[in-house]
This record gives sequence, structure tokens and C-alpha cells, in this order.
Amino acid sequence: MSNKPENLTLITDDGLRLDGRRADEIRPMKIEIGVLSRADGSCYLEWGRNKILVGVFGPREAHPRRSQRADSAVIRYRYNMASFSVEDRARPGPSRRSIEISKVSREAFEPVIMAELFPKTAIDIFVEVLQADAGTRTAAINASSIALADAGIPMKGLITSCAFGKVDGQIVLDLNKEEDNYGEADFPVAMTQDGEITLVQMDGNLTPEEIKKGLELVKKGCKEILAIQQAVLRKKFETPVEEVSEEPAGEKAAEAEEEPEFIAPEAAVIVGEALEAAEELGPEILEESVEAEVLASEVIPDFEEELEEEAEEELEEEFETEEEEFEEEAFEEEAEPEEDIEEDLEEDLEEDLGKELEEEEFEEEALEEEAEFEASFEGAPELKEFDEIESRLEREDASEEAEEEAEPEEEAEEEAEEEAEPEEEAEPEEEAEPEEELEEEEEAEPEEESVEPEAEVAVEEISTEEEPEEEKSEGPWKVVKDPSEAGTRGEKDE
Amino acid sequence: MSEIIATLKKDYIYNLMIKEKRQDGRSFKDFRDIKVETNVISKAEGSAKVTLGNTQVLVGVKLQTGTPFPDSQDEGVIITNLELNPIASPEFEPGPPREEAIEMARVVDRGIRESGAIDIKKLCITVGESVWIVFIDVHILNDDGNIIDASCLAAIAALMTTMVPNEQQGLGENVPLAMKEMPVGITLAKIGSKLMVDPSLDEEAVCETKLTIVSSSDGSVAGMQKMGPAPLSEEELFEAINMAIEKAAELRSLYLEGLAKSE
Repeated sequence: MSNKPENLTLITDDGLRLDGRRADEIRPMKIEIGVLSRADGSCYLEWGRNKILVGVFGPREAHPRRSQRADSAVIRYRYNMASFSVEDRARPGPSRRSIEISKVSREAFEPVIMAELFPKTAIDIFVEVLQADAGTRTAAINASSIALADAGIPMKGLITSCAFGKVDGQIVLDLNKEEDNYGEADFPVAMTQDGEITLVQMDGNLTPEEIKKGLELVKKGCKEILAIQQAVLRKKFETPVEEVSEEPAGEKAAEAEEEPEFIAPEAAVIVGEALEAAEELGPEILEESVEAEVLASEVIPDFEEELEEEAEEELEEEFETEEEEFEEEAFEEEAEPEEDIEEDLEEDLEEDLGKELEEEEFEEEALEEEAEFEASFEGAPELKEFDEIESRLEREDASEEAEEEAEPEEEAEEEAEEEAEPEEEAEPEEEAEPEEELEEEEEAEPEEESVEPEAEVAVEEISTEEEPEEEKSEGPWKVVKDPSEAGTRGEKDE
Repeated sequence: MSEIIATLKKDYIYNLMIKEKRQDGRSFKDFRDIKVETNVISKAEGSAKVTLGNTQVLVGVKLQTGTPFPDSQDEGVIITNLELNPIASPEFEPGPPREEAIEMARVVDRGIRESGAIDIKKLCITVGESVWIVFIDVHILNDDGNIIDASCLAAIAALMTTMVPNEQQGLGENVPLAMKEMPVGITLAKIGSKLMVDPSLDEEAVCETKLTIVSSSDGSVAGMQKMGPAPLSEEELFEAINMAIEKAAELRSLYLEGLAKSE
């Protein structure tokens, strides 16, 4: 809103803006989740040339004590600009501007964070603006939303934020720096998934009609951003388990059908014995078990992990490599090779296996996933598909649930695995859970062959169905230019 | 203290709200009594005291010369400060400004700056070297609710009666500060499903959220800020904008246009 160079045209006659966007388009957004190991949840977000890092801590004990609330958690939001984030060095520490932004951003989240579940604690959201290029507060809110979900903070939904403004007399979405500097108005908005507005600020000059028009643009922008946020979360938390096995089809089918009733108790027993068994085993076995764990990764129940291990071994044979190094490389570290292998094997297996079984397994996993992500994905359309399945599963899975309840440790471990970042799962798991896998390998194989086919089937199902979805989700947020070009002007603090 | 009272009164205020009534008998569109006094501080270049019900706000405007910002070398500088003076409420404490104070100061500032109320080009003395810096200092003297509207009104009233002290700098005769616009801020509180203007202290304490809208005389919106945790629906937002523009026009004609004529 300062003096605009006379030769600068912000919007061409064709309706294109300086960065080639149309009036109703947002800048390319890239989101990475779980980028900080010490934070409970974290997110790195690039939006245009903005670079935002958010870490979420908590719920944790609130200090100082007088800041505690007896009936709910205290939510604290700190928006901070790095001194190098703007063209003219910003003075470190809180400015009046950053204090204001922190306050309104915190209030943007208060309607969705279920703070009443954690009395006397604090939930800290720390935002570092590493590079600023207009719209940092909206970018920070979008990133914080992801980081909160990553931290497992119960929320009624995601918060999405986007701004509109007026540039050369036109209402446009998501201002870039030039438009922010020379435009006539800026109107940041944050909203819930249901379109409830949780943040409104505005400066400039707008008529009510222009505000109406702009709000329509913002709703469109927020919808797009929400899709990106959901895709990112899904990619992290719904990563399919990659498993393949080569057993004779007939046996599998027969065994698989019987499975639901009797497997659950068996699995429970195995888990209980596993700890003892693990201690007895030598280090060689530990390594093998690590591999199995990796494959089992997030979503699969205990007994399925065991089955997966078996499946792994089969895979190894297939490739005629008995060395563990090979397996580690192929399965743990690189996601793509795994998928390829699966695909190859899928065909064989699919022919062999009955389709009903696949469905059942798939449903089970879907149910579990859904339960875990309910907080962040409430109302997500994709999950609704499983509603029918769920109800059926509830009956069938009664035995499994009992199992899970009986073994809280196991569940905890699974959760831990899930929270770890997908790429890094291999390392933390190896260290954390060697014992279990050992047991599983040794004990599970003889006893539970009947279970295997199902587990394998499920794995395949998921991987096939997930692939297209992942591609789709990558679309919007992989399109990021490296924002090193062009200096950015500092966000001027009045 | 006030929090406890508010909790006890919450049901009462809600029940009144359902009957479209308020504690003090106003309708949702009524302000409390407003009194605007100008030139109350002779040492200041401009000043105004606004009384809104029992809320009292005093604004003093001081002008000093200084260097312009490098990116706007021919423009004067506006600096707005707001102090929640401990004299105004048992809730306020001495010390550095709290976030509420900073937020309110910036909302007042935004309304004046973005509406173009001050002709800042005319505050330039020598391009790139010397300009007038306008300090708008808002002192809250008594907080009985809605100090932000009172602050907005007092700030613009004070500016409209400000004289640029040219004599003091040897720049000729003192002249009135060049004004182009009269922005008025209107705050609406959302209680239950209803929006009401000029929330009292109790209403502020129980309301779910507040929305301040600063509008200019042409009916356009110059600044907006949602304060408070509860969300607003889109319909509520537009209802608020329309109410605010209407009320702002009313206050402008009642309290500010007279000041402009007297200049």
C-alpha cells in the first residue's frame, strides 16, 4: 500500500498476475510433516516464497503455574519472524505485529482444539517464519493445523486459512508480496472445515460487495488447501503396509476363512509370550525381526505382524538373497522398490485368493485407521465409505478388540510406530522393538500359518488402492519452485 | 473478579438476549450515551476525551519532526499507542502493554491509516529528510466495556482538532492537520446467536467473540478485526458489516461532522 512504481502492472489485461496466476488461484503449496524430532508434532510449509516451520509441544505441564487452567489446557501460539526472513533485517524478538498475529492465530484454533480434555496443561504452538513473502499468518495457520494433527492433539477439524485482497481494483486470492505492497486491501481469513470463520482481519478499503466476492474466493482457496492438508496427513498416517507371500493358494483360502474367530486369542497369547522369548534370542534373530517390523509398520494388528514376517521370509527366498542387508535396502529404506515387488507378486496372489477374504482384511485395517484419525479427519468423505464395513466389522472383530484391550503395551508400540515419519520408520523401529519381532517370527510361523493368507491379501489390497490416491495427492503440493529468486520485501511493521 | 461476576450473570444475559433485550434496556443496535470533548489537553497538539457510558478514553496527539521511512520518503509517519492504564480497571496492571492493548492499538491505527484519514503527504517537510511524526496516544481512563470504539472515536476526534505546530519549528503559522476521511470503528459482540453493538463490560465478559469493523464515510470498510475465540458464520459476518456501516454513519454525523465544520 505504499507508492507503486508507475510501470508496474500487477494484473495484465488477460487477467494474469505477476506470478502467472489467475485471480482465483493460490500459490503452490508444499507441506512436509513431522520434520522435527523433538517436537510432538511439526510441519514445514512452503507457500509461494513463504517458508514456515511449526513445532507443537504438549499437552505438557503449564509453566508458570498460575497460567494453568483447572478446566482446560492453555493454548499458546507464538508467531516469530526470523531476523533474516525479510529484506531489511527484522529486530529479533516479539514485535507488536507478531504479538497481535499470535493472539488472533491462537483464537483461530481455540474453537477446534479440544482443550477441555487436558486440564492444567499447555499446548504450545511455535511458529518460525523463516522466509516471508506476504500471507505469513495464513501460511502459519495452515502449517500449525498440520503440526497439531501430527502431535495427535484432539481437534474437531482442521483449520484452513487464506487471504484475499484487492489489486488494481480487482478482487484476487492469496496476495503475493508485490500485490500486498501495492494492492488496496488485504483480508486474511481462517475457517473450520464447516466454513465457520475463526479469524478475520482486514486492512485497506473494500465495499461490502467486494468482501462478499472475496469471501467466495477464500472459500474456494481454503477448500483447495484443506485437500492438500488432508492429503499430507493421509500420506503420513495411512501408509500401506507392504507385504507379499507365496503360499499355495488353496491352503490360504481355506485357512483364511476360518481365521476371524480363532486368530485373535492366539495372537494375544503370542504377544504375551513374545517378551520372554525375545530375551532368549540371539542378536542374529534380532536383525531379522527388525525387518519384519518394518514391513508390519503402522496399521497392522499384532497377529498380522507375525504373518508379515513370514511373508517377508518368503520374499527373501524368492529373490534368492539370504543376506539381511539386501532386505533392509529393498524393503526398509526405499519405498518404491517395495511397491514394485508387491506389484509383481500381487498378480500371482490375487489369482489364488478368494476375494471375500481380501475385503474383510481390508475392512479391518480401514476401521483401525479410521479410529486413529478420527480427530483430524472428522467428516472426511473418503472414510465414510467404510461405514457399512465398520458395522459388519464390529461384530466380526469382537474377538480382536478383546485382544487389543488385553495388551495395552502392544497398542502403545503400534501408535509409536505410526507417529514416526514414514521415511524414518525403519530406524526408530529397529531400536525400539526388537524383542517383539523376534518372538513373532519364531512362534508365529508354526502356529499361525492359517492367518498368513489373509494378512497378505490385506496388504496387497491396500497398496493397490492407495497408489492412485497418493499420486493424486502429490499433484498440488509437489509443484514448488525453489523460492530463492527475487528478494522479498520485509513485512513492514507499522 | 469480573470473571466471577460474569459467570453468575451469564445466564441472565443469555436469557435477556433470547428476548432481544439487554441488561441496561438498550436494543441490540443502541450505543450507550456518548460524549465527545475536544481540546481537553492544551499541551497536546490535539486531544479528545470520549465518554461512552462509564467508559472513558482520552487521546492526545503530539507531533514531532523526524526522518521518513526509506520507502515512503515524502510521507509523514503515524504511530499509535494504547495504554490500558491501571487506573482504568482492577484487571489492568502496570508494565509493558499486554497483547490486548497492542491489538487494540493496531486496530485503531489500521482504521486511521487504511482509510487515509490523515493526508500524510502534507506532513512532509523536506522529502527524504524531515517529516512530521504524528503520535496518537490513547489512554484508557475507565474501562466499562467497548474501549475500542471509544478509542477509535477519540482518536479521530483528536486528530480533527490537531494543529500542526509549525511555529515551534520555524516553519510558519500553525495550521490544522490535513484530514481526508472520518473512519469510525464499531464493535459487535456475539452472544448466543445475536450480534449487538457497543458491548458493556459484562457483555464483553460473556460474549463468545467480538468483531470490530472500521468504516469510512463512503460506506466502505477500512479495517476489521475479530477478537475472541468463537467462530463466526458468513451470514453473521455480513450482518455485522451492515450493522457497523449503518452505526458508523450515525456516529459520524452526530459527533464528528460538527468538529469538521468548526475547523
